[in-house]
Amino acid sequence: MPARILLIEDNPDSMDLMAYLLEAYGHVTLAARDGEAGVEIARRELPDLIICDIQLPKLDGYGVIRELRRRTDLRNIPVVAVTAFAMAGDCDALLAAGFDGYLSKPIEPESFVGQLERFLPNYLRSNSLGFDFDRPEDAQHERPEHS
Amino acid sequence: MSSLIESDNNPMTTGCPSGAITGTESFRELLETAPDAIVIVDRGGRIAFVNSQTEKLFGYDRSELLGRNVDILMPDRFRGEQAGRSNPFLDESGVRPIDAAFDLHGLRRDGSEFPADIGLSALESENGILVIASIRDITERKHFDESLREKILELERANLAKDHFLAGMSHELRTPLNAIIGFTGTMLMRLPGPLTAAQEKQLRIIQTSAKHLLSLINDLLDLAKIESGKVKSNPEPFVCQEAIREVAETLRPMAEQKGLGLDIELPRDDIVIETDRRAFVQILINLANNAVKFTSQGKISIELSRRHENGNTMVDVSVLDTGIGIKPEDQAKLFRAFTQVNAAANRPSEGTGLGLYLCQKLASLIGGHIDVRSEFGAGSTFTLSLPSKTSG
Repeated sequence: MPARILLIEDNPDSMDLMAYLLEAYGHVTLAARDGEAGVEIARRELPDLIICDIQLPKLDGYGVIRELRRRTDLRNIPVVAVTAFAMAGDCDALLAAGFDGYLSKPIEPESFVGQLERFLPNYLRSNSLGFDFDRPEDAQHERPEHS
Repeated sequence: MSSLIESDNNPMTTGCPSGAITGTESFRELLETAPDAIVIVDRGGRIAFVNSQTEKLFGYDRSELLGRNVDILMPDRFRGEQAGRSNPFLDESGVRPIDAAFDLHGLRRDGSEFPADIGLSALESENGILVIASIRDITERKHFDESLREKILELERANLAKDHFLAGMSHELRTPLNAIIGFTGTMLMRLPGPLTAAQEKQLRIIQTSAKHLLSLINDLLDLAKIESGKVKSNPEPFVCQEAIREVAETLRPMAEQKGLGLDIELPRDDIVIETDRRAFVQILINLANNAVKFTSQGKISIELSRRHENGNTMVDVSVLDTGIGIKPEDQAKLFRAFTQVNAAANRPSEGTGLGLYLCQKLASLIGGHIDVRSEFGAGSTFTLSLPSKTSG
């Protein structure tokens, strides 16, 4: 069963890359280009997982996580920060702010989806379809054309 | 009886206690040559003596001062009654240290003020106790203090700006690299479709170059942090053997890919070291990574030993390879930034050219150092030596 994953990301290339990878593994993605839109879509769609950039227009990643954690209906959705802030201390600060996980950019495309799926329940992971995408041989598996 | 005071033709001095001061010519000369303005005042606050520095400093003629109340040399707010405390020029309770507790000022004849340090001491005379005030214009020193304070603030601001710049720089470089490494990866994963051999080869070159660029950025940022003193050593006791096994496991896949062996030779008994574990591991990973990179056949070994040096216990970790080796004349260049010692073939070498430089910096941060022994063509040994306990 595919997961519904919300991407909050203002850089169009990074958005395309993450959406492409997640969809290639069968997931459904929702896109928000700024923090406020991200919170709004999260509230409306109640996704299974939220991936959030930190430097964002209108409301930054810290603002987003504050909003999400404040609302009882959104509090339990896992949120992973995927950010180019990769200096020492950035990771600790993000986890302290309430993010469930942290991945630094550049992402590793081979392991990206597997790393995110750790935050999903088993039945929503792509390897429940029969592949273990953390295994390089399966990650190399030819996928149907991305639509 | 010789008077301290030149009262020759000054009516103001009549009746002032000048005559009472018993002194010698040499005492007067001594006061004349003092670098500070010296004012001697009687109990009534009247000026009994001034040296020529006083004339210069306050802009008065000596004759204008003698016999006058000392109040004329200070701004209103410091004068006894207004300030609600004893006159700072007169408080003769022993020798007073130069007082920084409040800003004293002197008042010149033209009404201008200058910041002053005033030292006071009591002088016994036939007419009772006199007060000697030595007054120094500290305008210049104040000015220096101020500009020093400004410079410090400026440096702090510049340092902050640099940190900000580095963080921004890191962020801005990573963002386009994300697209480059990411989409190169998706193509190499064949997510969009099959690849020809040539396409795959070229994509691998993009991938390697982009990752190289990323490690360069990481090394530069690490270096900037170390050089700015931001990296603090966090010593903790740990077992060397465990950390070394961890390093070996990290590097093993890379070594095996090149068909190289990776041996570890560790003493049976635990060697506990107290140092920054992250720095320790990072140095060894870099050294072992280099060994794998510059070795095309044979093996890499990591050895651990302990020795005593000048009463200290030292721990040595050596990374040995059977690689291309380093010429003696090149060995000194190894630890400099951006100098890569090329093999005879002059093949383009991998790595950022910062690795060993960074390692040496990290090693000295944790109180150790790295030495190299190498025979050209036969391999190299890099040894990290550390005191088993970090002092301080």
